[in-house]
Amino acid sequence: MKIRLIGLCLGLSAFSLIAQEAIDAEKLNKQLKQLQETFEKQQAEMKANFEKLVREQQSQIDALKKQLEASTNAPPGAAGRPGAGIAGGAVTPEQLRELNEKVAAVVQAQTKTRFSYRSKGSDLTGSDRPGGFDVFQRSIELNVAGSVDPFAKGYAVINATAESATGEATLGVEEAALQTTALPWNLELKAGRFFGEFGRLGYIHDHELPFVNRPLVLDQYIGGESKTDGAQVNWLLPVAHYISLSLGAGDQFGDDPNNPGTFRHFSELNFFGRLSTYFDLRPDWQIEGGISGLLNPKAEDRGGALLQPNGVTTFTERERRLAGLDFKLSYVPLLNNQFRGFTWGTELLYSNNRYRVDPDGIPSTGDEFNDHVGSFGLYSYATYKWTRQWSGGFLFDWVQNAQNNHDQTFAYSPYITWALSHWNQLRLQYTHTDHNAASGLHPDDAIYLQWAWIIGSHAHGWQQR
Amino acid sequence: MKTKFLRTLSLALVAIAAFGSVPARAAKVRVVATLTDLADFAREIGGDRVDVYSLATGIEDTHGVPMKPSFVPVLNRADLLLLVGFGCEHAFLPALLEASKNPHIQYGQPGYVDCAQGIVPLEVPKSTDHSEGDVHPYGNPHYMLDPVLAKTAIQTIYNALVGAAPQYRADFTRNRDAYLKKLDAKIAEWEQALKPVHGLKFVSYHNHWPYFASRFGLEYFGTIELKPLVDPTPRHIEELISAMKAEHVPIVVREPQFPEKVPSLIARQTGATLVKLPIMPGGVPHTGTYIEEIDYIVHTLIAAAPK
Repeated sequence: MKIRLIGLCLGLSAFSLIAQEAIDAEKLNKQLKQLQETFEKQQAEMKANFEKLVREQQSQIDALKKQLEASTNAPPGAAGRPGAGIAGGAVTPEQLRELNEKVAAVVQAQTKTRFSYRSKGSDLTGSDRPGGFDVFQRSIELNVAGSVDPFAKGYAVINATAESATGEATLGVEEAALQTTALPWNLELKAGRFFGEFGRLGYIHDHELPFVNRPLVLDQYIGGESKTDGAQVNWLLPVAHYISLSLGAGDQFGDDPNNPGTFRHFSELNFFGRLSTYFDLRPDWQIEGGISGLLNPKAEDRGGALLQPNGVTTFTERERRLAGLDFKLSYVPLLNNQFRGFTWGTELLYSNNRYRVDPDGIPSTGDEFNDHVGSFGLYSYATYKWTRQWSGGFLFDWVQNAQNNHDQTFAYSPYITWALSHWNQLRLQYTHTDHNAASGLHPDDAIYLQWAWIIGSHAHGWQQR
Repeated sequence: MKTKFLRTLSLALVAIAAFGSVPARAAKVRVVATLTDLADFAREIGGDRVDVYSLATGIEDTHGVPMKPSFVPVLNRADLLLLVGFGCEHAFLPALLEASKNPHIQYGQPGYVDCAQGIVPLEVPKSTDHSEGDVHPYGNPHYMLDPVLAKTAIQTIYNALVGAAPQYRADFTRNRDAYLKKLDAKIAEWEQALKPVHGLKFVSYHNHWPYFASRFGLEYFGTIELKPLVDPTPRHIEELISAMKAEHVPIVVREPQFPEKVPSLIARQTGATLVKLPIMPGGVPHTGTYIEEIDYIVHTLIAAAPK
């Protein structure tokens, strides 16, 4: 009986245990199910998040790929432009760059104001500016340049200069030319109005001169800047050494135009050219030289009848012949050429014009005759730069009058330049000018203070190097 | 006499035009690089398949390479022109390119290889107004001082060489891979070496170092120049000295192209160490290659950093 009772108890216990286990297992199952559901839910969320992240990253990768393709497979006009693969934003660096480029290409203005004091009046010095105190708004230039198409570029220089007589500014087109960029055989053609290549400083704009005034010989023999309306071909000789040849023709050369007349023959054009070369003497020292020529076989009264100092005789130009020899020795230290430098430049010109001379100044009286006058002139200058801001030098001028080689002028000009920045410079210059007795003019002393500044892009052209 | 002279001159010119104007295509690719780092990369990739000429010797300012006419015939015959881009060469390259009369290397042509392709520039200005100095409109162009970005330029040069001479692709690929492997190892070494001086502050004369500082975790504190290409004013020097003292800037970098006087004065007054660092290979002795140059920069900075 006792055994049965124990057996029953054990059986009940076992049953209750089994029942309890069944209940626990059910609970566990529920918990497990919950856990599984939670896990699956979290897993699904994680998967969704991950997929979202992957999608986002993929879209970013695709966008970058597209941009990279755009930058590497860009059309020729855009090839090589840096930074094209930059990710979005309101204004991309590429857009900004293009905008900058456009602005830089279009807007460039420069001006030059000259304050001076001259000891003698213009009647005694032959100058076109008055003696005493003078403020001369010498030039305001606006430069425009850009590519015309894949084969040419164009540029224009619009200049306003104060008229000597009235003081009023007159606006003029100083240059407006088309220049080819893709001719074969190392050729380049320029056509329109431009500064024809003759000598070294003849085709340099006033504001780029290393001193205040254009050298006398260039003023008198060329007529200021070598402005021409015509065409010029430049040929870089296909040899290992630098040799450049320019040949051109135009209907004027310098400021004074030929009398247009009624019909211009071929022989009434101006033909000009320059052959130049260069040598590296040492890595820091260079020399560059050239020979130039200008021929106008039939000059048509260029400048009109030129009254001579006796007040009666006139010279009228009938043929214009000019030859030039130039060289420039430069010290351009490779290490610090922004802070140091030296230049010695010289140009010798020989003018051999033929004139119709009228001794009594009254036309058709039968006393007129033709006369060739051979005259020389030169300028030589040396400039030394000792810091980025400061440079100074000396200019020597000598010129024989192109109509009377006994009439000579000498000028001596020390100058000092303070470049506050690359675009803003002040130059102080003293000039003593000596005329000999034949000229009838008087010695003269002058002090100039010139302020030149530039706004906009300022690229250094090949000619201004 | 005159006729004879003209006839002789004409014949001579015609002869030159006939025999000289179309130079025979050389077996080697003729590469002209504006700066010495690009030339170094071209030599590494091109090996003996290329003739490389660098306009700069290494000691020049990157913006101040002289426009020598002797460069013109070299450019005239070049197959490829490698340039840093971002306007780095604006002071001398456009005029030289125009004078070169070589249509193959003009802007937009395959021979015009702008190595800034694919590089995100730092410091793109909002304006090119000169009140900000001679700013580069496309951004700071001195990315070559970051060796990781230099790898992008290397790839660009490789692509250009393959484009110019596909028959040598295998050679170029092998050389490029070998060089990149070497450069990667050096980059890891430089990063490791500069780790202890992370956050090191320094000033320099010109704004050459933003990419370098960013790559190696240094703090580029300022420049001695008031603005790019504008000399410092006394007030700017004074303010820079005060700020450097306040922020304990320990290093003044002078690039060899700039005068020593002002950097030396600033270093004296702030107690900083003055160091001379090259901006391209060849800038100082024993930096003939790009790797040697960056090696020199890294080790000079580490040596000058406060211990």
